[in-house]
Amino acid sequence: MGFKLDYLFSILPSLMNAALVNIRLAAIIMLLSVVLGTAFTIVRSLKITAVNMIIAVIISFVRGTPLLIQIFIVYYVLPAIGLDLSPEVAGVSAIVFNSMVFVSESMRGGLATIETGQIEAATALGLPPRAIWLKVVLPQLFRRIVPVLINEATIVVKGTALLSVITVVDVLRTAQQIASANYRPFETMIGSALVFLVINLVISLSGRMTEARFATARI
Amino acid sequence: MHFDPTVLADYWPLLLQGAWLTIQVSVAAMAIGYAAGIVVALIALMPGWPLRLVTASYVETLRNIPFIILLFVVYYGLPFAGIRLPATLVGTVALALFASAYYAEIVRAAILALPRGQFESARAIGMSPASAMWHVVAPQILRALVPPSTNMTLTMMKESAVLSSITVPELTYQSLVVQGNTFAPFEVFAAVASIYWLIASVIAEASRRLERRVGTAQAESVSRNPIAERYLSLVARRAS
Amino acid sequence: MSAPILRVSALTKRFFGVTALDQVYLDVREGEIVALIGPSGCGKSTLLRCLTWLEQPDDGFIEVTGKPFGRELTPGGVVRRQSRRQIDALRPKIGIVFQQFNLWPHMTALENVVRAQIVVRRRPRVEAIRRGEELLERLGLADRMDRYPHALSGGQKQRVAIARALAMDPALMLFDEPTSALDPELVGEVLTVLRSLAEIGMTMLVVTHEIGFAANVADRIAFMDHGRILEQGPAREIISAPKEPRLRSFLDLVQADRRPIHPLTPSNITE
Repeated sequence: MGFKLDYLFSILPSLMNAALVNIRLAAIIMLLSVVLGTAFTIVRSLKITAVNMIIAVIISFVRGTPLLIQIFIVYYVLPAIGLDLSPEVAGVSAIVFNSMVFVSESMRGGLATIETGQIEAATALGLPPRAIWLKVVLPQLFRRIVPVLINEATIVVKGTALLSVITVVDVLRTAQQIASANYRPFETMIGSALVFLVINLVISLSGRMTEARFATARI
Repeated sequence: MHFDPTVLADYWPLLLQGAWLTIQVSVAAMAIGYAAGIVVALIALMPGWPLRLVTASYVETLRNIPFIILLFVVYYGLPFAGIRLPATLVGTVALALFASAYYAEIVRAAILALPRGQFESARAIGMSPASAMWHVVAPQILRALVPPSTNMTLTMMKESAVLSSITVPELTYQSLVVQGNTFAPFEVFAAVASIYWLIASVIAEASRRLERRVGTAQAESVSRNPIAERYLSLVARRAS
Repeated sequence: MSAPILRVSALTKRFFGVTALDQVYLDVREGEIVALIGPSGCGKSTLLRCLTWLEQPDDGFIEVTGKPFGRELTPGGVVRRQSRRQIDALRPKIGIVFQQFNLWPHMTALENVVRAQIVVRRRPRVEAIRRGEELLERLGLADRMDRYPHALSGGQKQRVAIARALAMDPALMLFDEPTSALDPELVGEVLTVLRSLAEIGMTMLVVTHEIGFAANVADRIAFMDHGRILEQGPAREIISAPKEPRLRSFLDLVQADRRPIHPLTPSNITE
């Protein structure tokens, strides 16, 4: 049997439709992980020893275990302690938790490049800490980590494909349903690969337009 | 809710078998992926834009599609091309393919980062091309390679969890089996997460030792940072 | 009179049809310091790269201590390119100090000086270390030997690069813009180092665009423009009584731009 290009074209509309689920979830995840990652960074910068030790363990855990396991933990373990989440909410929470840590790590890296003199100057002027963060530090920090956030967005989009494993009907799950009906799994998978390729190329090209891309430390 | 590790008593061998397969698959994929990555990087560095276009498409395609999709493409694509392999082998090939794109970029960046003058200064002093490579070029490339390569290997090891979806009996697959038998998700995933964590720590520690061995790349990257440079020069001025 | 240390004849180099070196003739005699000046893009750096055979000249001959380097005329009158091995064997005779020094960042200052001796000159390590330490001490780097290049100042890096080249016992030293990668106040220091090399009888060819520096350091100045050496002669004559109009306008230009030429006294040689 040969490769059926017309079949591939015929399934693209339904795959693109399913991609809206991935895009929607990825957008929610990015928004939450930037907000929570910022909060996380601020908490870490307070340098409370006990808190930072706990945070260090959390970071090490998130970096040392697969995202898939983190998703399973939220999906299977939380219901056991009485938190029954829908697959979508469970999946989003897991990826947000993962992504937030990486956002916070890169923010900390960016923080190290902001001269302490600026903060000292702001303190000397009598600005309260809240104003220093909001008016001095964060605006610079966000400008600096834009390339990292763009890269993180493509990682998050790729991460949403894992949610099919916990029954979220995304591109991959739709593809599997189509494939089992039509017995053409290869073309179907090529189709879903194309859909993700387009989404991520659009994201990273628009990112590249804003700034020369950072060397990727992680994928 | 209570935590009762004894429910796992009968299942430790299964989990450890899974962990061992995770390690084996990761090591094999690293070896194949690195070899492929070097080849892709060397092609990318050859003159002429058509070759660069081909390698760039290879790298960008593999980097922009989720690994789980890539895995299924390979899983259904190999039989499509008339190749039938056991699931574990299919998973290893897919993982190596995935990693090769990143390794290629790492190798290419490390070679490009080397100033042209380094090879020339060794040649001008009378070293043969081979000696210049061995004494001057290779150690510097190696030093630039180690941190991102181990980082990528760690990522790849974690990514291997996805192989569970094509029934490769690695650690994540076994954890789902044990979960199905015990209905003790907390205990099972705590145990499995710890095993992954342990493997990751071993890789991280190995990377630290390797970095120490190949040299002081870090001290240099600090002094190249303009802000760090300015700070250091201020300190130096104050001290003198 | 003995044969010159360096004899360049009819050296020509073209890049994609553009002539970078056009029939260059230049002799440097033993113990002499020759400064090669000229506007940027005149072919000075290309000449240095051809002299070390990092760039292969299209035509012409180079002789070092009377031996042909890179290309030779066989008794039968046939021009023959030397093998890579032959070229590599003569390269240590020509020490070059690059504009950016090109120290090897993964080796300490001492190892930078030692390694090439072992690899190229096949000296035993102990002897190579002895020679390296001696050279670095003489260049005032006794307390910097174990530092890596990134922990050295520009002037210190340059002296390590000089020591690395000297350790090969060259007959001739080439310097590519020795003042350009350094802070202006270090020019005096470079001058001191080059003079100390002159005292031990080293033959040097210094490429520079700083007239003041050239006038101070060189016995003889050669002026190059458009890939040709247009005028050469004793330093004083070249500066005070240039004959070639292009040299005259070049001197007018740089002297109007830069600080006046004045002899450097020990008082303005700064560390």
